[in-house]
Order: sequence, then structure tokens, then C-alpha cells
Amino acid sequence: MKIRTEEFNSIAKKEINNAYARAFLGLLPPIIAMRRVQVMSSFPNPDQALKLSRAIRSESIARLPDLLEEFEQKATKSGAKVLWAKDAQEARKLVLSLIRDRGATFVTKGKSMVTEEIGLNEALEQAQIEPIETDLGEFIAQQLNRPPFHIVGPAINVPVEEIRDLFLREGIMKEDTTDPVQLGYAARIYLRDKFHHIKVGLTGVNMAVAETGTIINVENEGNIRFNKSSPITQISIMTPEKVVPSLRDAMHIIRLLCRSCTGQKISAYVTLDTGPKKAGEIDGPEELYIIIVDNGRSEIYANPRTREVLRCIRCGACLNTCPVYTKIGGYPYGWAYSGPMGQILNPLLLGLDRTQDLYRACTQCGTCRDICPGGIDHPALFLYYRSCDVEGNEKLAGKKRPRSERISFSLWGLAVKNKLLWNTALRLGRFLTKKYSSDGWLTNLGRLFPGWFKERDFPSISDSTFRERWKEMRKGKYGHP
Amino acid sequence: MSKVSLFIPCLVDMFAPSIGMATVAILERLGVETVYHDEQTCCGQPALNAGYGNYALEAARRFISIFGDDEVIVSPAGSCVYMIKRYYPELLEDDPLYPMAVDLSSRVYELSQYLVDVLDITDVGAQYEGKVAYHESCHILRGLGISRQPKVLLSKVKGTEIVPLFAAEMCCGFGGEFADRYHYISEEMVKDKVNNFQASGADVLITCEPGCYLNLNGFLHRQQENKKVLHLAQLLAGPEFQGL
Repeated sequence: MKIRTEEFNSIAKKEINNAYARAFLGLLPPIIAMRRVQVMSSFPNPDQALKLSRAIRSESIARLPDLLEEFEQKATKSGAKVLWAKDAQEARKLVLSLIRDRGATFVTKGKSMVTEEIGLNEALEQAQIEPIETDLGEFIAQQLNRPPFHIVGPAINVPVEEIRDLFLREGIMKEDTTDPVQLGYAARIYLRDKFHHIKVGLTGVNMAVAETGTIINVENEGNIRFNKSSPITQISIMTPEKVVPSLRDAMHIIRLLCRSCTGQKISAYVTLDTGPKKAGEIDGPEELYIIIVDNGRSEIYANPRTREVLRCIRCGACLNTCPVYTKIGGYPYGWAYSGPMGQILNPLLLGLDRTQDLYRACTQCGTCRDICPGGIDHPALFLYYRSCDVEGNEKLAGKKRPRSERISFSLWGLAVKNKLLWNTALRLGRFLTKKYSSDGWLTNLGRLFPGWFKERDFPSISDSTFRERWKEMRKGKYGHP
Repeated sequence: MSKVSLFIPCLVDMFAPSIGMATVAILERLGVETVYHDEQTCCGQPALNAGYGNYALEAARRFISIFGDDEVIVSPAGSCVYMIKRYYPELLEDDPLYPMAVDLSSRVYELSQYLVDVLDITDVGAQYEGKVAYHESCHILRGLGISRQPKVLLSKVKGTEIVPLFAAEMCCGFGGEFADRYHYISEEMVKDKVNNFQASGADVLITCEPGCYLNLNGFLHRQQENKKVLHLAQLLAGPEFQGL
């Protein structure tokens, strides 16, 4: 998948004028986000439920190395094979060799964001192995060759007419219809056939339980269950932070995950796998591989300031309420992860230099932090990334800001602690901006702040500031309020 | 008689001093003595937002040296209050001033919070004939957890009817630098807010945050709309405080 994080502004400017996507995005806060609020109220105490899930995620990350070890032990004991990949390349190699060794020419895939992150589909295609996405949204996005628009609904922005045309063109459907049920049915029949012959099925993992070595998938379509029950070999790919201490913890996270994600109390399918098919069982793969892909997580973990990023459970709630995401959609973020969760994760995985706009295109409104079941403070992380970028932090690939900006802030830094300098600057500013001022308002400031002045005015610096009015008032000249 | 120290942030001082004057007027009307330290400048939020934490730290140190001894600090700018409460202790984590920062943060109040929670006053004797809607500014609602206080104050204003605002808790698109750098996104956000304001049927939209005030009024002024946004203090203080 092509990384386009540096094209944020150009893609966003295009997408913000996409009327169809905008109409859909406009529904996210009042409908999906509201549904989340309603379903949260089914907890006896929603605040405590949220606190508990945050505590679980916090504990999971605090104990991450131990929990991973425990998970590996228990999963291995149950017959699964746990493999570790240090980065995307190693992960791709592992998957490819497992598939090749089994002589498979195609694989079916359940929805998995980490496979997007490591560019698995491209690698499979290059190796002449056909990856077949079986999640309806992923299937459509794959056919259209588009990046995911939303981490939960990757093709949720695609108009139904476009899906009809695609399905007719690709022979997935014969009848000309825009009935969503018929479209879903056509995809279902088409994909069902693939499952009948699979040797290898690939899935992601929603949670890995340390105490039992179980992997859990949460879904609504049943395709992941097929990917796990039909093949001879199941390969499930996860990043280390998916681990939770106990099954009990996992059950609570599922409650929050489903509510935060789709406003459901529970999704249509929740599957728990502890090892492959055992003697006497009818369903399930003969072998189960669990690949744990680090791909930068160890470094995220090692830095105490960034560690909380790993608490994310990929519910997507932060996208649905973000005032920026709900204007521009997922494409401008330029990679697998979008919205606030992508804005905190992508810069750490790709470097602050390549993701400049991701941690700046934020008003610090805090809706993401407020609803996050993982307890992540996204706005504070953005401030941290900005500071690391300014100082040119080497580990995070900070770029340093333009000279003009650095000079402006160093002057600001001098003035803020010196009353005389501050007041002189203010008076100078007032004098210099006089020529732009009319009736107490500025309609432009020459080359300064062109963005602001495009559709907005700004008050001129007051002829009598509060400081000046206060002095006058205390002298008794100004009418005492 | 209570005594409070005023923190009048730079945006109010320079661009909307009437919000500061309105704050003084309300407090004095209630018999609260106000002091204003002339040395105050800025809380440091613009620097912190832009990634210049070292300069924000300077601002924090200075703020503490000026306000450190005050028993109660009141400000009509929720965002700056949030800056002090949320980020000063973090900025000063390794600084000898850290205990002061923590201590100070418990003594800083946003205006409506001070009136309702500390003074236990809900009726400040204000009058306004018309409909008002309330915009839940981000740092006030989600940062400070303040929402009930401004509304209860509004409910006691004579002649005023409070009407609901759709998506009241949605950001207006200010965000400091954001509004310039990503103006094309910010414009869509401010338009939504103004459209919801129009649809609410309110005569004025009330906010407790100067940032939102400047953003929304800046947009309304350019669009030559008759309606305007007032800071809560301006509405409570009376018509002579409702200009810039």
C-alpha cells in the first residue's frame, strides 16, 4: 500500500469537496456516535465500565513483555505455533513461506489492519499468490484498489451504484440492482465458493489472552469465522499490544469494543480459538500459526511518553466523533490507520518528518480522548509529537521547523517574560497593523495568516487594551463599571 | 468580602478587552474585590500548541511567580485555565516549581465556575430580552468539565429564553494555528457551528471561551451577518460590555 501521508493537504482539499463522502461523514457524529452513547447506557454505570476498560488496557501495556511471554507459552501448549517478526519485511517473509510450503495459490483473508500496515497483499500478489479479502468492505476496497476509508468500514464511503457497476464488471453479480441486500448476497455467494477450497486462511486478531493462549476475533459478517474454520492452515497476525491478561479482561474489552465500534452490545460473531483443531473435533484448522509482528512497537513501548499509544483497541470511535475526520474522511491520512488513532500511531511508525500534518491537523478539541476505551490522551500526544518535531528528535525523526517560525517563537519567548518588551511589541503591532484596520476589524494582514483571512475577519488590536482600561479605571477616569 | 486575582489572557487583553471589563463589572457588582497584576502576559498555550514547550515553560514559570501567592485566580478564558490546570504541572515536572504548579492549579477558576461553584451565586442580576443558545467550548466542556455552570447562570437572566443548539459540543474549528494552517477544514467547522446557531433561532450564541468568540465573530463579521456571539460575561454584565 502506497504511503501518502505527505500529501495530506492535497488529498484533504479534494475530499472535503466530495459531496457524497461528506453526506455520509456528516451522519457519523449524530448517528453512529450517538448510538454508542445510547448503548453505553446499557451498562449499570457507563463511567465505571469505561474506567475499567481503560484500567485493563493500561495494565496490559504495563505488563506487556510478561503477558506476551505467558501468551506464547499458553498458546504453544494448546498446539498453536507462535512466530515472531521484528518488522514488516520479516512478517511478509514468514507468511509467504508458510503459504508456499503448503502449495496454496490463493489465500482468503479476514479483515486485518496489520496486514495493511505490513503491505501483505502486494507481497502476496508479487509472489503469484492471490489474496482474497472476504470482509465485504475490504473486498470492495480491494477490487477498487483503494486504501481503507475507515478502519472499521474500509469502503463505507463507496456509493452503491459504484459497487453495482463493479460487481457487474467483475462478474460477481449478474442482475442489475442497487439493493444493498442483493449486493451483499452476491458477494456472499461469490466468497463462499472461495472458502470451499482454501488451504490457508489469514486473519487478524482483536485480542490475545495471556492466561489461556486464546485469540479472539470480533466481527459481524461471519467471514472471519470461515477463515478460521475452513482452512487446513490458519495464520493469524497480530501486533504485540493486542494481548490482555485474562479471559475476564477480554470479555470486558469486548463489551467496550462493540459499543464503541458500531454501537452494538455485542457483535454478531465473536470467536475464540485456543490452538488448532483437536482430536475428535469437527471444525477448525489442522494447524494454527500466530505471527506476532513488532514493526516498531518495541520502540513505542520503550518511550514512556509514547507507550500509551499501544492501548488502542482499534474500535474506531475516535474517527466517528473527530471534527476533522468527519470533514475529510480517511484518505488524507495516507495510510492504513486514519483519524485520531492513526494520527497518534502513523507518526511513530513512519517518522515525524513524513507525517507532519497528521499531528498538526487537530484543534485539540478532546472528543477522542473523552470516548477512548483505551484511555489514550490523543491531544496531549500530538503536543508531544510537535515538540519532538521542533527539537528535531532523532529517534522519532523530527524535522525541525522553518527558521522564520523558530525566530518568531524565540522572540515570543523573550516577550512573554518581560512586561516592557511584551507591551512594546503590542504597541508596535498595533501601529503596524493600523493600515489594515477598518472599524475595529482586520480583513487581512498582507502576507500574514492568509488562511485565516480567507473567510474570516479578526478584531484589530484594541485602541485601549484591558491593561490600559484597567489603569484608566483605577485612576478613576474610566467610568467605574 | 472575597478577593480575586484576575487573569486576563492576551487574546482578551488585545482583541476583546470588553470581556475583561465585563468580568470585572460582574465581580464588583457581587461585591468581590478584584486585583489585576499588571505584569501578566500569556499563559503559554500558543507556544505549547506549536511544539515550543521550552517557551511555554518560561510562561508557566512567570505565571507562577506572578500569581503564586494569590488565593483565588479567576479568568474569563476557559482554554487558558485548562492550560494551567492540565499542562503546567506536566511542563514543570522536573522543576523546583512543580509543587507550586500543582497547588496553583487548584486555585484557578473559570469565571462561571467561580460564580456558581465557589460563590454559590446563580443570579447575578442580569437582564437580556431574547433567545440565547450555548456553545460548549471544547476546553471548557471536555477540558474543565464545565457545562452546568454557564447554563444555570443563563437560566437566571431576566427576559432570556435558552434554546437548544444542535451539536453544541462540537468544536467550532478554532484551534489557534489550526484555523490558519488548515483553514479549509476550519471553515467547514465554523460554518457548521454558525448554521446550527442560525437554525436554533437564538438571537445570540453564548460561549465562555475567547478563542471560539473570536473565531465565530470573525466569521460572522466577514459574512456580514447580523447575529453575533457574546461571551457569557458580556451578556451577564449588560449592553455596554457587548462590543469588542
